[in-house]
Amino acid sequence: MGDLYLIFKNVTRKKLRLFLTLFATFIAFMIYGVLMAFQMALDSGVELSADDRLIVVNKVNFTQPLPLSYVTRIRSVEGVAESAHMSWFGGYYQDPKNFMPMFAVEQDRFLDVYDEIVIPDAQRKAWLQNRQGLLIGESVAKRFGWKVGDRVPISSNIFSRKTGGQTWDFDIEAIYRGADPSFDTSGVYFHFKYFDEARTFGQNQTGFVAVRTEDPALNEQVIKAIDDQFANSFFETETVPEKAFNKAFIEQLGNIALIIQFVVLAAFFIILVIVGNSMALAIRERTNEIAVMKTLGFRSGRIFRMVLGESFLVAILGGGLGVLASVALTRLITENVATLPPLIMKPEIFLSAAGYILLLGFVTGILPALSAWRLNIITALSR
Amino acid sequence: MRLLSQTWVVIIMNIRSLPSRFSMSLATIFAVAAVVGVLLFFLAMGNGFRATLEGAGSDAVAVVTREGSQSEINSVLGRDQVNLIANAPGIARDDAGNPIISAELYVIVDGIKESTKTKVNLPLRGLSQAGFDLRDNVKITDGRMFSPGRNEIIVGEGVLKEFGGFSLGKKITFGKTTWEVVGIFTTGGSAFESELWADARSVQDQFRRGNSFQTMRLRLETPGDVSALQAYAKTDPRLNVKIETEANYFSTQGDAIKGYVIFGWGVSIIMGLGALAGALNTMYTSVASRAREIATLRAIGFSNVSAFMGTLVEGILLSLLGGVLGIVATYLFIDGNSAATIGASFTQVVFTFTLSPDLMVQGGWIALAIGVLGGFFPAFRAARLPVVIAFE
Repeated sequence: MGDLYLIFKNVTRKKLRLFLTLFATFIAFMIYGVLMAFQMALDSGVELSADDRLIVVNKVNFTQPLPLSYVTRIRSVEGVAESAHMSWFGGYYQDPKNFMPMFAVEQDRFLDVYDEIVIPDAQRKAWLQNRQGLLIGESVAKRFGWKVGDRVPISSNIFSRKTGGQTWDFDIEAIYRGADPSFDTSGVYFHFKYFDEARTFGQNQTGFVAVRTEDPALNEQVIKAIDDQFANSFFETETVPEKAFNKAFIEQLGNIALIIQFVVLAAFFIILVIVGNSMALAIRERTNEIAVMKTLGFRSGRIFRMVLGESFLVAILGGGLGVLASVALTRLITENVATLPPLIMKPEIFLSAAGYILLLGFVTGILPALSAWRLNIITALSR
Repeated sequence: MRLLSQTWVVIIMNIRSLPSRFSMSLATIFAVAAVVGVLLFFLAMGNGFRATLEGAGSDAVAVVTREGSQSEINSVLGRDQVNLIANAPGIARDDAGNPIISAELYVIVDGIKESTKTKVNLPLRGLSQAGFDLRDNVKITDGRMFSPGRNEIIVGEGVLKEFGGFSLGKKITFGKTTWEVVGIFTTGGSAFESELWADARSVQDQFRRGNSFQTMRLRLETPGDVSALQAYAKTDPRLNVKIETEANYFSTQGDAIKGYVIFGWGVSIIMGLGALAGALNTMYTSVASRAREIATLRAIGFSNVSAFMGTLVEGILLSLLGGVLGIVATYLFIDGNSAATIGASFTQVVFTFTLSPDLMVQGGWIALAIGVLGGFFPAFRAARLPVVIAFE
């Protein structure tokens, strides 16, 4: 009889217990996979920031405006390759609940600053040519069922139009996807010209300016040059690398990362306790058997390996299924909840999950395995 | 009657034999405690956030914002609109016969979060003494009120707790102007405590708002009744405004954290399934280890109902112990802690984790559910054990 066969026989001896232990492990790793995917989606804005992109905002706060005249002055700074200014629109479709991150952008330059936005050539042209053209992300299209060629009314909770009302008409001209699958495609962009001519207030002002530098090595110098230029003016600027800007933005949510870790830890703790106990119990119940096996000439080391193998088998089986379930679940969430950024199960998640699975197998098996290894035949059989 | 006393005896026997299954039982208790703890963490968060916002809204005060702006930050009201609304019916008047109104500004400035040293959005509210008096339960706890027309700021206690650089006497620069913190105020833990307050005119100058405002607050003649005001605003084409009670305004703002609460329930229920697996494991083991004992009792005339009840009660007891442990741990380590997150107005709201008795009961329910389910099936097995085991 091979060791593997023995391990398998031992594990499946009590089917109900095996099922419950596997189920608990399964649950833990399913939670782990999904929460890690969430965590990574939250961080993806930071991960995918370009090293050579800077954001210029009003020094008081990024919600305060900047004069439009700054745009050309920023563009002429040494080391700036390209720049595009953007204004927050506060857009929503029909109901304030259907709110979307929507910006009026300097349309001719925007796509050069954000070159990770991928659009079919024909659509790109069409969007640039139509003043009321709208560029939407794939997830927005999915969320509202919009197609290229649709005419849609979008309301703003900030800007009303000179002709009255807060509802603006747009033609959907282009749908973009990200160069990277975890790129968030919930953004909506339209022409600044259309926006500035029709709005009732705020003319000649913009929200912030996105800048591309010629080389990330020049960032420090460009930041200093821009901010110095406007120092002591009424609208002082603060220029930050995009990565830092996105990170600060996410941190405004509070300690999301901490909360996620807290939940994962609690789930893991439960599992460890349950699986560890089941393992210990299984070995205790078989004290006699192990003693008999030793009497028959099974070496201690071999028995040690077999017991440890049992706990590894349970961990790998339950954990593996749990990770698979989290793959299915993240896909389901991404398909059906368009308001969330795409949840991608990255290789890192599989790797770390595999590490934890092995750790679980080791921690839960080591004590029972040691006690089986040390078991004295005489005392065991005389019990 | 005999059945009751039999059942009672079996329950006591089970409980007395718990120490022999110490580690298994303890594992179940801890597993349930972890589930209850996680659930209460999220519920206390949602509860605290909501209490902070709803505590800010008074029924006796109406908020006027521009139609469709949804939050104070997006609203704009011109001086002429403010004057028009001041003449509306239904506004309470002071002893001199003037309407009690407060035209306010609401702008976002940068603050630094103490725990992470990152930038956060803080609301700076421009208002006047009238606005201060209009709000119930506002008190200056340290320092003094700002003087009109000066660049002076008073700071809410919530801001002081979570964000650095706002202590009394500190000088703060927003743009080109330096402001001095001259006072600290409290509003009894409501959302206003997450704000910085300054003189409306100074804020208008600093943020180039000319003579415009963003929102208006006014004291109502009859608390809760804004119908006269709304009717008045409807008839005047110059007034494109939304008028609602402050309580109503803030209750819609409280939805910002709903997602967390739903998430918390989801995770707890999934974790609860894991804990249930553990509880079932424990209880089946308990039945197996007492198989001979149960069969012996049956042989000497105890009914299978008593065997069933004994095991069920044991399961419920373990889970409830876990539930209590989870509740106590949450109460000790989480309740009363303050935290901040971004609210509907795009600014930080400082809130306190609040564990109410009602939430504790919800935690108790989830523990009980695990106990009943985890005890029922093993109890069923106990009731059906063949008596012959006792004679093997």
